[in-house]
Amino acid sequence: MTYKINDGIAFGILGPSGHGKTTLLRLIAGLEIPTDGYVYFDDELMSGPGRIIVEPERRNVAMVFQNWALYPNMTVYDNIAFPLKMAKMSRHEIDRRVREIAEELELTRVLNHYPKELSGGQMQRTALARALVKNPRILLLDEPFSNLDAALRDSARALVRRIQRERKLTTIIVSHDPADIFSITDVAGVIINGKFVQIGSPADIYNTPATTIIATLSGDINLLSAKVVENTALIANLRIPLGKGLINDNEVIIGLRPDEMKLLMEPQDIRGFIDIGKVRVKVSSYTLGVFRIVVSPISDENINIIVVSDEFIEPGREAHLLIKPDKIKIFNKEEKLIYPELKNLITAL
Amino acid sequence: MNSKYVVRVIKYAILQLVVAIFIILWLTPLYAMLVGGFKSNMEAASAPILLLPKQFSTEAYYFDWFGFGTLIGLEFPMIRQLLITIPVALASVVFGSMGAYFFYIQMERRPWVSNIGFSIISLATFLPAQTLTVPLIALTSSIGIYQTYWGLAFAYFIFYLPTSALLMSIFLPVVPNYLIESARLDGARDWSIFWHVIFPLVLPGFLSTLIFVFLMVWQDFFTPLIIATKPSLYMLPVAARQYVGGYAILYNRSFAAGVITSLVPLIIFAFLGRYFIRGLAALGGGAKGI
Repeated sequence: MTYKINDGIAFGILGPSGHGKTTLLRLIAGLEIPTDGYVYFDDELMSGPGRIIVEPERRNVAMVFQNWALYPNMTVYDNIAFPLKMAKMSRHEIDRRVREIAEELELTRVLNHYPKELSGGQMQRTALARALVKNPRILLLDEPFSNLDAALRDSARALVRRIQRERKLTTIIVSHDPADIFSITDVAGVIINGKFVQIGSPADIYNTPATTIIATLSGDINLLSAKVVENTALIANLRIPLGKGLINDNEVIIGLRPDEMKLLMEPQDIRGFIDIGKVRVKVSSYTLGVFRIVVSPISDENINIIVVSDEFIEPGREAHLLIKPDKIKIFNKEEKLIYPELKNLITAL
Repeated sequence: MNSKYVVRVIKYAILQLVVAIFIILWLTPLYAMLVGGFKSNMEAASAPILLLPKQFSTEAYYFDWFGFGTLIGLEFPMIRQLLITIPVALASVVFGSMGAYFFYIQMERRPWVSNIGFSIISLATFLPAQTLTVPLIALTSSIGIYQTYWGLAFAYFIFYLPTSALLMSIFLPVVPNYLIESARLDGARDWSIFWHVIFPLVLPGFLSTLIFVFLMVWQDFFTPLIIATKPSLYMLPVAARQYVGGYAILYNRSFAAGVITSLVPLIIFAFLGRYFIRGLAALGGGAKGI
């Protein structure tokens, strides 16, 4: 297939590890020779089948490696200055540019330090500074946040996003973490087995994933097998009403994201939600500011459904499970989304 | 608990003992050589070899260093040896490193280039130098450098360049490939990558190889024996050979010649030995040793 990434866009690539995300990035950078197919920058041919036409050092591409690939024998200053030295810039100009970018990325204090003396965040910013200092045509980011502490990731993402937007820098970011993609990119593609299986805005991919694999990759999701009887999807004692005659399959997979459900102790009408039945709480845990509750339908202990809640619920208690009907994802047995009829699927409300 | 401790102490003691025995075994010839050189000829020939000299004499060293009659003194061969060995070893290892880098980066793109290259390098390293005697003499003669310092340097260079390349190609993988790729994306060509990124990181390995190759060249007896046979071109090992005796063996002078010849390697080992070890250690610990 041919895909064009427009100028100034932040493009995200999501996919399981080992399915070719990094290889695609390396093909764009010129570090990998395509066995087949072409890479163009604007209208300029970069690589063709079996050969590199423009060597990586002449592509003016910058890449931030997963492990940052800082030169251990050089100080932060020399690391950032390296691409400029290679471009044979004057010493004065190099110094001006290095200090400017160091100022922007808060590296001024550590310019004389060696990489091994830096914190994870500083290393990452040094790698970013080294990539940006030469004003590249394209910025490639390969899992740039996976080696950072969780607490640092958000600020790092915000930084990359700000820089990308300010400079209108064409950016391609590869990650297995949907948070990276959602926080930075305008358009995202999902790669499975070396092929793009869905391309769209991050919100599209999150809301209407084409397959169950994409649904899992783009965020937490409960995938539950259901039987369809008389326009109702049955998961043990849970009943999800469906539009008349819209689903012809007898068996479907229902996708429910934990943040699109609610648990209530007493039945109660809440706008935008429908009650689908009673469940029993199995486990309550707390991560990243929310409670994650694992529940099972009353009649089947073996089905686990994860629900996000804003309060602790004691295990063993029974509760009503409410879902947002417009957010429900229905896949057929082949795990493909039943779409575009989706929006008309739900009768209730 | 207590018996365990005793067992450990005994084990440790045995180990120490074994090490001590080895050290003594290795140092005995060196010791004999040192004390032998300070004996008179009569004493060196008659008294037990490990005894200290009764009459301390520097006569043998004086004789060896300045020469006597037709025997060439070791003074000029020593200077010659230093003047030729140092640049030749340096050049071999620098060019060898570059060659190793070339094959290293070809490994991914054109594996056959690096496979064939390595085979040739190994062949050149392990081929006995003696088999090349005739071709080497013919080659140096035909380009007019037989019996010259240039010829000698040339011969050393072609013998030790493959050795250097082979050794450096063991050290190079210490530099992770992503650093080379990163440098390439930063716009660096191979020359810059080699000098700015590779070289500083393999410096310990470079020093190890340099020390090793220097010692190999220093103690090479065969190459100068066939390339520089004129007494005015004698290299140290060839010149020292005179004192082993043509007509009669003068033990004290042989010992003294041995000491003079091994002086530089001994100094190098005493002062640079740790760099040699460090380079080898860098191999084991990956990039961490650097």
